[in-house]
Amino acid sequence: MISNFITMNGYGLYVWLSFSIVFISCTVVYFKTKKTLKKYEKDFLAELQTLTLEEKNKVLATSKIAQQILTTSSKVN
Amino acid sequence: MFKLFSSSNIYLFIQQLIKFINSIFFLILLIGLTFALILSPPDYLQGDTVRIMYVHVPSAWIGLACFSLITLLSVLNFIFKIKNFYFINKSLAPIGLLFTCLAIITGSLWGQPTWGTWWAWDARLTSMLALMLFYIFYILTFKFLNTEELIIKVSSIIAIIGSINLPIIKYSVEWWTTLHQPASIKITGSNSIHSEMMLPLMVMLLVFLLYAALIFLMKYKTEIIRIKKKNIKR
Repeated sequence: MISNFITMNGYGLYVWLSFSIVFISCTVVYFKTKKTLKKYEKDFLAELQTLTLEEKNKVLATSKIAQQILTTSSKVN
Repeated sequence: MFKLFSSSNIYLFIQQLIKFINSIFFLILLIGLTFALILSPPDYLQGDTVRIMYVHVPSAWIGLACFSLITLLSVLNFIFKIKNFYFINKSLAPIGLLFTCLAIITGSLWGQPTWGTWWAWDARLTSMLALMLFYIFYILTFKFLNTEELIIKVSSIIAIIGSINLPIIKYSVEWWTTLHQPASIKITGSNSIHSEMMLPLMVMLLVFLLYAALIFLMKYKTEIIRIKKKNIKR
């Protein structure tokens, strides 16, 4: 039963290789995309830190996105 | 009403949507893989190689769907100058390229045991290869062109020219004698696929769609942050 599942009646190489290629490439793309997103969030926060306190408060007061990024990053850290 | 579509609200909605997809994705993936690799029966003619269909067909469909959407949004952007469409297209293109490549690779792996060859310059295969090239050219415009205006123009032209290839892909198996089998699933008319194979195919399609949506949302979110960062000091 298990042997049949692995060999797929002689077609195991093709079936498992297809599923593996899809799984590996999708996983790589997922982590690469996530890494880029985190990098941009980090860059955004770094840019925010360069502002004066007054400017920073103004940005945070007007931008929900800035608030969200700050909240997410403080949760992670 | 328009406030609802502000970038802040879209951003918050994207956050929620990413969380939701992440919470259900692995369960649906597990169900899909169980159906595709264990529960679905082997084909009477192709045997177990038919299981490749569960990754090959959804990949090809998503590759085609992404390019169709890119073309539509490019045309709309050309006419109405809605900048958001440009960012949506920029986020969609890599997903379309990924799935088109996967469709070609898994198709080749399916072709070897079924047709006895990895590749043939047959109409369906060649038109899919052309789609992949259009995706590559499309993505290259974002990498190598400088001004946003020029990128929009060139990428829209590539998308519109590339869209000519879409009906060729769809009807290639009817217009020419090809190695590739004719469509088993039709929107209009009866399907020639058994329900025991149709169900796993639909579940795997859902898995692929959720994955594509997840990557799209993360890429789109990145674009929003990039713009916000650019405008932070203004």
